[in-house]
Amino acid sequence: MTAPRDPDRLIGAFLSEGEERLDDQVYDAVRARIEQTRQRAVLGPWRTPTMNKIATFGFAAAAVVIAVFLGAQLLGSPSRFGGPGPVPTTSPEISDTRSPSPTPAAVLPEGLFALTDGRALDGMPTLSTTVTVPAPGWYGEPGGAILVKNDNSAAPDGAGMIAFFGELYVYADPCQWATTRPDLPVSTVDELMEALAAQASRDASEPVDITLDGHTGQSVILHVPDDAVFTECDQGTFGSWGVPGADRSPFRYHQDPGQIDEVWAVDVDGVLTVIDVAYYDGTPQAVRDEMRAIVESVTFE
Amino acid sequence: MHDELVRQAQGGDAEAFDTLARMVGDRCLAIAVRILRDLDLAEDAVQSALILAWAELRALRDPSRFEPWLHRILTRACYAEARRRKRWSEGLRILPAAGAYGPDDYLTVDDRDLLERAFRRLTVQQRAVLVFHHYLGLSIPEAAERIGIPVGTAKSRLHHAIRALRASVDADARGTASQERLA
Repeated sequence: MTAPRDPDRLIGAFLSEGEERLDDQVYDAVRARIEQTRQRAVLGPWRTPTMNKIATFGFAAAAVVIAVFLGAQLLGSPSRFGGPGPVPTTSPEISDTRSPSPTPAAVLPEGLFALTDGRALDGMPTLSTTVTVPAPGWYGEPGGAILVKNDNSAAPDGAGMIAFFGELYVYADPCQWATTRPDLPVSTVDELMEALAAQASRDASEPVDITLDGHTGQSVILHVPDDAVFTECDQGTFGSWGVPGADRSPFRYHQDPGQIDEVWAVDVDGVLTVIDVAYYDGTPQAVRDEMRAIVESVTFE
Repeated sequence: MHDELVRQAQGGDAEAFDTLARMVGDRCLAIAVRILRDLDLAEDAVQSALILAWAELRALRDPSRFEPWLHRILTRACYAEARRRKRWSEGLRILPAAGAYGPDDYLTVDDRDLLERAFRRLTVQQRAVLVFHHYLGLSIPEAAERIGIPVGTAKSRLHHAIRALRASVDADARGTASQERLA
């Protein structure tokens, strides 16, 4: 008579079998490919050891583009930086973002926080914005345009937020972004909402009217599909938008499938200002509430 | 040892990354081949994962977490291979029974065939949890973190996978017992 078989032991034995040596040809192929593949850039200040905490929020270079003198010229519109006058051709305030910031990213005390401080990020100027950090556990670099809860932006329960200013190139398909970048950027709330509503696979909500610090705009909720396979996307990246400049890759790229974005966009004296709040189904409601409180506390100078 | 290589690779040193890849590649293949049940697909998944890891390496803040981080990328690459090839219901090449450690004596040829068929009926996501938990010996929370899913999801997938595999084994055992009684 046959002795009873232990199913668990059978499964364990089954899984213990199989190939366990990677062929040298694969290593050679990888080596050949990486020689031709650039590594994704991360902004200089965030790469210093004390600032790595927020680097993996993964918003590629922080993102900040103000609108844009070149764009304004092309459109024939006056400067959108408030008030009439000649359109400058360069920003007088651009700082060297490749040098380390004097203030390291760290867990922040509750209270006022300079989300952006007008200094340039990635070679582009920002507006000055402050927010109120309502609870412990938020990481950020003053002026760095990013806040991350508990140093965790990943699925299943991460949370973070990032600010953008100015013109954005919203890809028609965030997975096939390399071939779906539009010829012209969006530079108004309406244009942004229209582009996001049309973006493939995002299941965008109906935009709702909002006001931030007295400035009107709209917000919309977007989703990264749960079954999105980033490795099937261009350069393994699922990205919502890029910014002006030679680098056409996404500056807002997503961390994981299932990520939810609340995009808050307002017009600040003619400058499209976007705060992207990102979380997951597993993110505690309390953290989501904190993020919304942070957004609603924003002030623009 | 890994940490310094990771830092060098983050600085763009392809040689350092090549060394790293050769240190972790075998384990990656072992994981991928058990999830995908196909050697060619597994090699493709590992290759994709390593290339993507190189591109994204600067986003890895803690060099000591390189291998878990890579495994998460690898898992997604396995999902992608599974979807891309869509060969699950087709006749996949059966894995050679003798791996690096050779066949387990506890398994008969019939066991192996039975489990192979049952394993292929699982979703690739269920297989991933099984492999990280049963093959790598990670706890369920560790496996969930490695794959990038909630713990509850990992528990659910594992439960359904184990139940399906046990059902196959039990059904086979009942069939064998019936045959013995008839003999």
